[in-house]
Amino acid sequence: MASDTAQKKSYAQFLLPAVMGAALLYFIVMAKGAIFPFILSAALAYVLNPLISYFEVRGIKRGYAVVGLYLSVGAVLSIGVYLMLHFLSYDIESLQKYWPTYAERLQAYVTDMNTRMVANYPFLAKLGLAAKLQHLLEMVPQLLLSLLPALTLLFIIPFVTFFLLVGGSAIIDYLLDHLPSRHAELILHVASRIDGSLGNYLRGILTEAFVIFLIAFTGLMLMDLNYAAVIAVLIGFSSLIPYLGAIVGALLSSVVAYLQFGAILPIIKILAFFTGIRFFDDWFLQPYIMKKAVDLNPAVILLALMAGAEIGGIWGIVFSIPVTCILKELLQIAVELQETEFRWKPKPEPTRISIPYT
Amino acid sequence: MGILNLLNTIYDEEILAKLDFLKGINLFEGIKKRQLIHVLESLQERTYLKGETIFAQGDIGRALFIVSSGKIALSRLDAAAQKAEVIAEVNPGEFFGEMALLEEMPRTATATAAEDTKVFMLFKIKLDSLLFSRPKIGVVVASQLARILSARLRALLEKPAEN
Repeated sequence: MASDTAQKKSYAQFLLPAVMGAALLYFIVMAKGAIFPFILSAALAYVLNPLISYFEVRGIKRGYAVVGLYLSVGAVLSIGVYLMLHFLSYDIESLQKYWPTYAERLQAYVTDMNTRMVANYPFLAKLGLAAKLQHLLEMVPQLLLSLLPALTLLFIIPFVTFFLLVGGSAIIDYLLDHLPSRHAELILHVASRIDGSLGNYLRGILTEAFVIFLIAFTGLMLMDLNYAAVIAVLIGFSSLIPYLGAIVGALLSSVVAYLQFGAILPIIKILAFFTGIRFFDDWFLQPYIMKKAVDLNPAVILLALMAGAEIGGIWGIVFSIPVTCILKELLQIAVELQETEFRWKPKPEPTRISIPYT
Repeated sequence: MGILNLLNTIYDEEILAKLDFLKGINLFEGIKKRQLIHVLESLQERTYLKGETIFAQGDIGRALFIVSSGKIALSRLDAAAQKAEVIAEVNPGEFFGEMALLEEMPRTATATAAEDTKVFMLFKIKLDSLLFSRPKIGVVVASQLARILSARLRALLEKPAEN
């Protein structure tokens, strides 16, 4: 009887957290659009936190460290963004003006190619490639303009991140102090393992994307290619997804080079430049920047990207690699725990030495 | 005067106190105060309430615990008598569980908070990272750790002779 009551009590203690968890999940599903900037802010706060901790352990109070970071990074970014917008606004204006001409040339090229191909392979006529391309080309300016509302995120995210950085550590400390004491060591061990590989991955990939953006921008400017700023920004963002940066860069730049110069040599130069970026990234950037991050097999990356796209579209792609990092680390930890905590395997043997202490 | 006041407002005295505390820990003897900042970065703080179990005998160890304030009781279960016996008390400035930094093996005793206790935890994974990223600190910690373990082993061997 007493054991029945104890069991009921032990079930009851999970009731409130379970109800609260379900309510939270429901809220997240219902308000996912509104929550999204907060998820991005939390990710940014997580990436920036080591910088704040750097000053914090050197005696600067957290609030002042965050304000200092915002003022200094804000000043540098403002100049950078001002310059970028200056270039971008010129590029976008120019693109709007010249787009019909470019579209006409591209369409003429594809129509010509299509006619020749249909002549050789009549079944291709059924695909209606020319009509599809025309529709696509008409959509491009609209598509570019539709990206502008996403710029509001640039104001919301730093705002939310500021408050997460200032108050976030207190929440984490509260949660840490309220972990079940007996399991705190194990939970913190798992958390620091995930933090180690995920944090290094995120910081690494952001640095990598920024370096690739700078190289691409400088290189394309030197090649005197139109829309260098727009292309470099797109390359920077697409570099957040492994392997995509150089592919996007090579494709976009080749199309722009064809439209601008109408010759094959600039395209070859551009392809060589992006091949160079790819090798520089593989041989120098990644081994140096990502040496402490979790090592993911390219096939796993591809699977993660495809699954991410299937589940969450473009943002699914962006978050697929960090989530895969967490899953890989959890899998490794689970295997280790199997050997230690769960005892499914024989206990690890301590090191034994036959020579006595002398 | 104004600048001094401003500095006082910005500067966190608690950090200075923590660094002073770490300076007095045996394990970090020989590490310069400036370098102790990196050690502090690797530590995790947590408060255990009186009576809470930090780890139990047989659990796999993954961290070393430094007592900052309060008191920890270490007890060992006597297999024959099926009774736990307190074998040591750990006071502020002392540490326990250092074997976890060398190998992830079962704990040989149970640690319980004898009063509300604040501890710093140094996880093996953090120490490993410190060893590679700050070898100067790593060498000192590793050498101190070896010295402490040797002292404990010597004490264990000399114990029967004392009795």
